[in-house]
Amino acid sequence: MLVIPGRGGSFCDGPTRREFLRVGSVGLFGLGLPHFLAMQKAQAASTPDLAAKFAGVRGFGAAKHVVLLFLQGGPSHLDIWDPKPEAPSNVRGEFNPIKTRVPGIQLSETMPLLADQVDKCTLIRSMSYTPKGLFNHTAAIYQMLTGYPPDKVAPSGQLEPPSPADFPTAGSHVSKMLPPDEPVLPFVELTRPLQESSVIGKGGAAGFLGKAYDPYRLYQDPNESINLDDLTLRKEVSEQRLKDRYTLLKGINQSMPELEKAVGQHALGEYYEKAFDLVLSGKARDAFDLDKESDKMRDRYGRTTFGQGALLARRLVEAGTRFVQLNWPAVANGNPEVDAWDTHASNFKPLRNLHCPKLDRALSALLEDMHQRGLLEETLVVAVGEFGRSPRLGVSTSGNTNAPDGRDHWPYCYTAVIAGAGIPGGQLYGASDETGSAPKDKPVHPNDLLATVYFTLGINPEMEVLNHLDQPRELVKGHPVLDLWS
Amino acid sequence: MNSKSRATCLWVGGLMLAVAVSGVRAGDRSAGAPEEIRELQVQPGGLVFSRPGELRRILVTGISAGGERLDLTETVGIDPQGGIVELGPDSYLRAVREGETRVTVRAGGHSAEIAVRVDASPGSPRTTFLRDVLPIMNKVGCSQGVCHGAAKGKNGFKLSLRGYDAEFDYRSLLYDMSGRRFNRADPPQSLMLAKPTQQVAHGGGLRLDLGSSYYKSILAWIEQEVPFGDPEVDRVVGLEVHPGEIFMHAPGRSQQVVVVARYADGSTRDVTRESHLGSSNGEAVAVEGSGVKGIRTGESTLMVRYEGQFEMVPVTVLDPSPGFVWTALPQYNQIDELVDRKLQRLRIQPSPLADDAEFLRRVSLDLTGRIPEPERIRAFVQDPTETRRKRSRAIDELIRGQAYADYWTLKWGDLLRSNRKFMSYKGMWTFREWLGQSIADNKPYDALVRELLTAKGSTFENPAANFFLSARGATAAMETTTQLFLGVRMVCAQCHDHPFEKWTQNQYFEMAAFFSAIGVRPGFESGEEVVYLKRVDNDLKHPKDGRVVNPQFLVPAGGPSSIPSAADRDRRPALVEWLTSRENPFFARAIVNRVWSYFFHRGIISPVDDIRASNPPVNEALLAALAEDFENHDFDLQHLMRTITNSRVYQTTFRANRWNRHDDRNFSHQIPRRLGAESLADAIALATGVRFELPEMPEDYSAVQVPDPHVGKGGFLDLFGRPQREEPCECERRSDVSLPHALNLVNGPILADAVSAPEGRIATLIQQGKSDSQLVEDLHLSTLSRPPTSQEMQVALAHLKRSGSRAAGAQDLLWALLNSNGFLFNR
Repeated sequence: MLVIPGRGGSFCDGPTRREFLRVGSVGLFGLGLPHFLAMQKAQAASTPDLAAKFAGVRGFGAAKHVVLLFLQGGPSHLDIWDPKPEAPSNVRGEFNPIKTRVPGIQLSETMPLLADQVDKCTLIRSMSYTPKGLFNHTAAIYQMLTGYPPDKVAPSGQLEPPSPADFPTAGSHVSKMLPPDEPVLPFVELTRPLQESSVIGKGGAAGFLGKAYDPYRLYQDPNESINLDDLTLRKEVSEQRLKDRYTLLKGINQSMPELEKAVGQHALGEYYEKAFDLVLSGKARDAFDLDKESDKMRDRYGRTTFGQGALLARRLVEAGTRFVQLNWPAVANGNPEVDAWDTHASNFKPLRNLHCPKLDRALSALLEDMHQRGLLEETLVVAVGEFGRSPRLGVSTSGNTNAPDGRDHWPYCYTAVIAGAGIPGGQLYGASDETGSAPKDKPVHPNDLLATVYFTLGINPEMEVLNHLDQPRELVKGHPVLDLWS
Repeated sequence: MNSKSRATCLWVGGLMLAVAVSGVRAGDRSAGAPEEIRELQVQPGGLVFSRPGELRRILVTGISAGGERLDLTETVGIDPQGGIVELGPDSYLRAVREGETRVTVRAGGHSAEIAVRVDASPGSPRTTFLRDVLPIMNKVGCSQGVCHGAAKGKNGFKLSLRGYDAEFDYRSLLYDMSGRRFNRADPPQSLMLAKPTQQVAHGGGLRLDLGSSYYKSILAWIEQEVPFGDPEVDRVVGLEVHPGEIFMHAPGRSQQVVVVARYADGSTRDVTRESHLGSSNGEAVAVEGSGVKGIRTGESTLMVRYEGQFEMVPVTVLDPSPGFVWTALPQYNQIDELVDRKLQRLRIQPSPLADDAEFLRRVSLDLTGRIPEPERIRAFVQDPTETRRKRSRAIDELIRGQAYADYWTLKWGDLLRSNRKFMSYKGMWTFREWLGQSIADNKPYDALVRELLTAKGSTFENPAANFFLSARGATAAMETTTQLFLGVRMVCAQCHDHPFEKWTQNQYFEMAAFFSAIGVRPGFESGEEVVYLKRVDNDLKHPKDGRVVNPQFLVPAGGPSSIPSAADRDRRPALVEWLTSRENPFFARAIVNRVWSYFFHRGIISPVDDIRASNPPVNEALLAALAEDFENHDFDLQHLMRTITNSRVYQTTFRANRWNRHDDRNFSHQIPRRLGAESLADAIALATGVRFELPEMPEDYSAVQVPDPHVGKGGFLDLFGRPQREEPCECERRSDVSLPHALNLVNGPILADAVSAPEGRIATLIQQGKSDSQLVEDLHLSTLSRPPTSQEMQVALAHLKRSGSRAAGAQDLLWALLNSNGFLFNR
């Protein structure tokens, strides 16, 4: 497999002994030492010192993995994480606050199970930004996951579909800079793509890093059966036979060097290299096997697409996957019977009956389970949407029409849940005003949240990356929220 | 000349030298005298100012002996004489007083003169909203999408996006807030000036400097009591952009531009600074101020926009490496001439012909979606007939075969969305049969379109009527028609006028009105529907004001003299007459461009279904010639495909040389394309000798013959990007490569099952008693469509010897061949 030293290895001093050993073990794939050194050099040139600025700062490099529960659609912060019982009724809504395990923190009554796990996470109640231009989902998702506002807007008012010039989604950066230590999928995106009407996957691809760093997209329902034929070694093909075949294949490709060059942009060779590694190790496949979990554990996460997706996320992290992104498995289609967070048409009934029970069960189970396994210490868990929802009911903020009990898009103030990686739990960070309309204290821009994710993995968020034109760009224009660790 | 401009001149002298030296290095000429500027040119020639005070820009170009053009605008000395005009900023000239004079331009020992005239101005200049104020508002950003141009406006003030609706903007300014934006008693105190100059808090920040020329123009307008202007006088009717084409002989060079607006009354104005410049290919050419800079070798189109008008300027940045020599290759037909003409100009040497085996593989895939059988390859390669004739014959054979009809039935089925979801199961089959027959008969393209668009009656009895099931309703039928048959995307215009393009919301509905009376009702049989002409409720109403919209052609050319005004008379024959007319500027171009894209990695215009002035073809002469030839041959699609495949350009190898390796848009070499999903499945089946399993299909059906995307849904074909037939867009088919594709081919069941099947090609070959080398040769022919090289043969034989059994060794070889680039790509 491709072994590119990330943390641990120093670019200046050459590979460590451990890396040499790893290289040795994959020598049969033709990745000889010269190749390795060349690659290392190339890597060093494109990613200057990852750690320079923040070395020694608390929280820096505290996590090896990230689980991002991306609640696409924009969940209503007031009705879930940030209840406002004192606000007027057209803001407060139908739900009552409940007490949690931690004195001083209240959640909405929609989150009873999470109330018992609040000691393991921190609520950032002052997420906030003002969109530049578009006020729709795709623009906000792109901003949230790439750290850059979208620049290409089609005349229709929607974004252009994903393009190779896009800024990379966070998981792609991470999987490029920190390839996993184990032969597993580096970056997995689960159950369904990011989507707003016909624009699919915007903000969820490797963009200018190249398709090789796209997530492995498992758009299947883990609550049904998962089909992983591709990852299971066939019985008539032994490991040795597959290796022999790969050697043959490389010989054939090398006998047409001009063709290899002509199709180089497709990065087929890199995909094949990864594919072989995945198939041969078997680790990746096992990670997807939810049958290895007890019924009790599966019930604990909830027998829903999102619940089983969260359990899958935990298994993947356990196996060594660097970045797991679980997208909320429903997107807006105007139907209040669908559990999409985009609750223009009806807010309370669906939240109470459809959305929140699934989220509450899955998130609380994930925190508890990962904590019990000691995984939370080395994993950063984030749950957030692309924005919150309008505090006032039935008003239009995005140009959409809203039912009297609907809430519209609201990027000016919302909540993110963050846990693990040594962040002390049971805390509130920042606060919103009386109506949840604006941060009252310590506003956190989505770029700051993204910077925090990179920081936690030991990546300097201010480092430069080269885009497809080899122009230097900041990884993200934001500052890690260092106070989370205090 | 004052001392400053003299210094400039000296500096220019130094520049000349540098240019001269690099000119020699860069040149493709045999070594000779250093390149020197031989001549200066000034554009626009003959300046006429309409009044004193007006600013106009000139461009100065140095021309070398070798014909290189160098922009010297920002470095020359300009010497106005006689006090009629004076030198302004950025090589602008400012008119001082009425009169005529000459202006001298000097650089590097050369000079040039232009005639200049300043006309008298009767009284103080008239300032109007249309001509003066709106462009300033657009320029400083008031009407941007993020500011007052947002759909909901900003802070209570709404303008149309980028000022596309002048009347709306004028009314907004004047009448919203009870006219409080103007203080007629004390114009400088007007809110319209106080806000953008930030004398009063403004959310959008400082947009206008106090006392700037823009400020003065707006002030003058308010003082003149805010006249709107007369559209017959003050409307911009066209732009003139200098230079009309930009050709840079090396990256790193710059070129300034001059933009002159022409108004309805015939007057002109220099609007260089107010124009918006955009580069279509920012990697090659970047916009810098009022000009462009060459970043690297390549081409781009500079789009210059001003007040709803735009002009496109092609920009080329040449490869400056020395040693280029044009080597003429044989030209088989007009395609080769027209492609070569451009390549030679761009100093791109095309690649030579592909060899016979490579050609046969490519042309079989492109015409029939299938790779050739080993016997066919052997016969073709051994055939001693002269290359060009031999290939031409092979093309004819392929086009005559059933595989051709099958493949193009698939392609047209994609575009016309032959899909049981829209047409019912029986309707979909009926439609497919009709399409297949039309293609086998080589029905002229205009006739095919006519049958589709004028179809009525039962969808079971008249298969073409199914068109109106996948494009249901007037607006869907119109959008499908324009996108498929004209290559024009009208979708944006449904909600608003297109900000850069000429299509308006009105045109959207006027075109849709041709279909306003089309109704669909259930038939007798289950799934049967009937397309009919509605007698009542058959008018299309404009969503803005509810008025009845009368049909109107997108452009007048080629339309019949009258269109039925009563909706209950069928308007579609009139539409088709216009559509398929030779005067229609889109019809033939759209289809030849689309067909071209099936034989190369891109269209001459790309994307093929987004034809608009701001998306120009990479080779206009080529596109025009193909379209004309297509019309002259009565819209004969097979003739078009023959013309393309018989060209040398098509038959070129994918192997690049040092002069064309960066070229990916001028067809100087073929660019490999991944096999489409269906072709890939069928090629695996051919190579392995094992049928590709297709649920619900008869035994002898191949993947190319699958009638709609419901067959084998969610499987191999979908993974490899088969179109879902939901949109009438080429973009539905995907041919990218990513990890799941590699995983599936390495370890997925389709390929692995076929390779190891006991009754496949390998078993047959072994049964026939073939030798190891015969086995190896056959496997190469059936996958890579060519015999193995001697080295490939050695490696393969060694592997067979090493393997436990011949069958197992052959399976490994076949597996590796199927996973190789040589198999997966059409090259």
